[in-house]
Amino acid sequence: MQHKKPISIIIGLLALSLIILMLIGIGIGAVWIPPAEVLSLINGHLNGSSSSYSGQMQSHDIIIWSIRFPRVLLGAMVGVCLSVAGAIFQGLFRNPMADPYVIGVSSGAALGAVAAILLLGSLGLKYSYSIPAFAFVCAVLTILLVYSLARTGGKVPVMTLLLAGIAVNSFLSALQSLAMFYSGDQMHQVVFWLLGGFSSRGWEYIWMFMPYAVIGTAIAFLYTRELNGMLIGEEQAQHLGIDVERVKVMLLIAAALLIGASVSVSGLIGFVGLIIPHVVRLIIGPDHRVLLPMVALTGAVFMVGADIIARTVIAPEELPVGVVTALIGGPFFIYLLRGQKSSLYK
Amino acid sequence: MIVDVLGVTCGYGSSTVLSDATLQVSKGEFLGIVGPNGSGKSTLLKAMSRVLPPLHGRILLQEEDIYKMRPARAARHLAVVPQEAGLDFPFTVEAVVMMGRIPHLKRFQREGPQDREIVCEALRRTNTLDLAQRLVTELSGGEKQRVLIARALAQEPQVLFLDEPTSFLDLNYQIEIMELLNKLRFEEGLTAVMVVHDLNLASQYCDNLLVLKEGKIFTAGRPAQVLTEELIKEVYGCEVKVEQRHPGGRPMLFIQPLIHRPNTTHYRVHVVGGGGSCGLLFHYLQEQGWEVSAGVINIGDSDWQEAKRQGFSVVEAAPFSEIGLEEDRLNRQAMLKADYTILPPIPFGSGNLPNLKAVLEMAERGAPVIVIDEGSIAERDYTGGEASQIYKKLLQSQVHLVESAEQAMAVMEREADGVEQ
Repeated sequence: MQHKKPISIIIGLLALSLIILMLIGIGIGAVWIPPAEVLSLINGHLNGSSSSYSGQMQSHDIIIWSIRFPRVLLGAMVGVCLSVAGAIFQGLFRNPMADPYVIGVSSGAALGAVAAILLLGSLGLKYSYSIPAFAFVCAVLTILLVYSLARTGGKVPVMTLLLAGIAVNSFLSALQSLAMFYSGDQMHQVVFWLLGGFSSRGWEYIWMFMPYAVIGTAIAFLYTRELNGMLIGEEQAQHLGIDVERVKVMLLIAAALLIGASVSVSGLIGFVGLIIPHVVRLIIGPDHRVLLPMVALTGAVFMVGADIIARTVIAPEELPVGVVTALIGGPFFIYLLRGQKSSLYK
Repeated sequence: MIVDVLGVTCGYGSSTVLSDATLQVSKGEFLGIVGPNGSGKSTLLKAMSRVLPPLHGRILLQEEDIYKMRPARAARHLAVVPQEAGLDFPFTVEAVVMMGRIPHLKRFQREGPQDREIVCEALRRTNTLDLAQRLVTELSGGEKQRVLIARALAQEPQVLFLDEPTSFLDLNYQIEIMELLNKLRFEEGLTAVMVVHDLNLASQYCDNLLVLKEGKIFTAGRPAQVLTEELIKEVYGCEVKVEQRHPGGRPMLFIQPLIHRPNTTHYRVHVVGGGGSCGLLFHYLQEQGWEVSAGVINIGDSDWQEAKRQGFSVVEAAPFSEIGLEEDRLNRQAMLKADYTILPPIPFGSGNLPNLKAVLEMAERGAPVIVIDEGSIAERDYTGGEASQIYKKLLQSQVHLVESAEQAMAVMEREADGVEQ
């Protein structure tokens, strides 16, 4: 409660920097469009005056509206989803080292994507739009599998969940490697997809992605109090009248939706889900009622920023965003690890 | 009855830890669950606190099966103070205690002023109001325990279960917590069930004790009925002394350490004391049951006082005066009667030089003499070298030379045991 003021200031600052970064992200590219123009073009598009544009205005409108805006928006939303999913797992497992991929969802989704590329590709079908569907279905199936493996006597002990997840994760990774081994010409496609990114993601991805992202985030935000209780310990949460098994199911559903949707549209983008909740927790403490909104905003800011870097460092070529997040995230995380050695494991 | 445990059997996997436990707790009662490690105390409490569903049997809270109640509803009636703190994440104390309000809040409801007031009251009662803005990760074990009790109180329960609430606490906090529970009970009719290791604490504060042994209820009743020497021996397998301050009062347990006692009853020791150098030696001799004489010591010397206090026979000389012929004769007599003569590192002046001479004579006659020598004789020779010369002679004769009272005891024990065999 005593945090109220500084926290609203931090949230305001984060929201402001998100908007600025998104404007820059939309403006940047082969053609630089200044933020003011970006704003007025978006505004024009929203109130319907864009149809009267011509010449440069028209082409800018098309660049922004059908290429860059959806891409940046998707980046922000995936940033939210991965970070929130990371926060859910870190809370559920009471472990600050957990990330969205910890219980094998990532390898499930990846296997689905690889299967789509290889199977449909070998049949000569166009597969790019099928990848998300395959990835999503496999991600959710993986969580179901892990959950049922971990279930003993009507309960799902988090430790068992974690262990089952790790086992399933390595098994699926092996399958994925096997598939890649036989992928031949499509190998490059597979690897490129696995590295993750937002290039040429249009509105259709946003619409595909949105429902899961919204539902998953909403569930997580509804269960912040319970997440706090779980952080204190499963048994104590029970003492406080929290229906822990139900909470676990709901949060796993939320995480499955968030991760499945993210992976399906943008591949495997690592480190965001690990670092963002972790860093935010170090700054504002473990109370999920404040933590979760902060994590969501910070995740969006980080992802939009990483996407800008991915697009600019070797322009006109583009780096996979997953490479950028890992390159920034890895060293930063090590820096935190060195500095916070004692509190990290608390 | 506010809580009824009916034929409850509990276990983990295929092993049964608690079998067929039946008990009742009445409103306002303070029940202590005691028993040795592994007797099923914590399992029983876990079952009663809705964490471990029993394999057989039922647990009723005000006539209602607790495992059929909705979790939040149960938590409004029943709060638990867990054994392990588990407060590993840096929440503020206030936030942790506020968690006690969770069962009272609806999903979309936020904490209101009333909740804050209840939390504040819980903090005040447990003496943790000053800690409210501190992080729980920075608290001591005792402070954490009090915060957990505050959180339980914030649930506004009718029944409070505590799993060894005082095990991390210093004596003052143990008493504080127990007094707090007592107060809540008398003022608000709170019912408390507590697993407790400390039988004295249980005896002083609980109305009734439930004794578990090997997963079964062994007996139950008032502390005065339950805590007897026979029961402790049977349940815990150890010997204690149980006393009551007044007849029918709450029993208190005393531990009696077993120390190695060589068969010393018919052995006599004579200690040549003086100058306050014999305190520890006297203590050991008394503890092991030797028959001790001491001398010659001036009346009023601290060794004299200690020897008298222990009930030893003392050959004494008048305060601050030299040893006379008569005292010297009695002293030598005592030495002759003794199986050992011990010479601790006492200072020598002309007044007590006859002591040293007597010891030398004993040694030369072949009587067993133990000399405790902690350092240079010169430092405690106030006779201008005479004592040092005699002492040197003494060390050349057949004496046991040791460096401490403990070593002297060891020499005698070894020989006494040797004689036995």
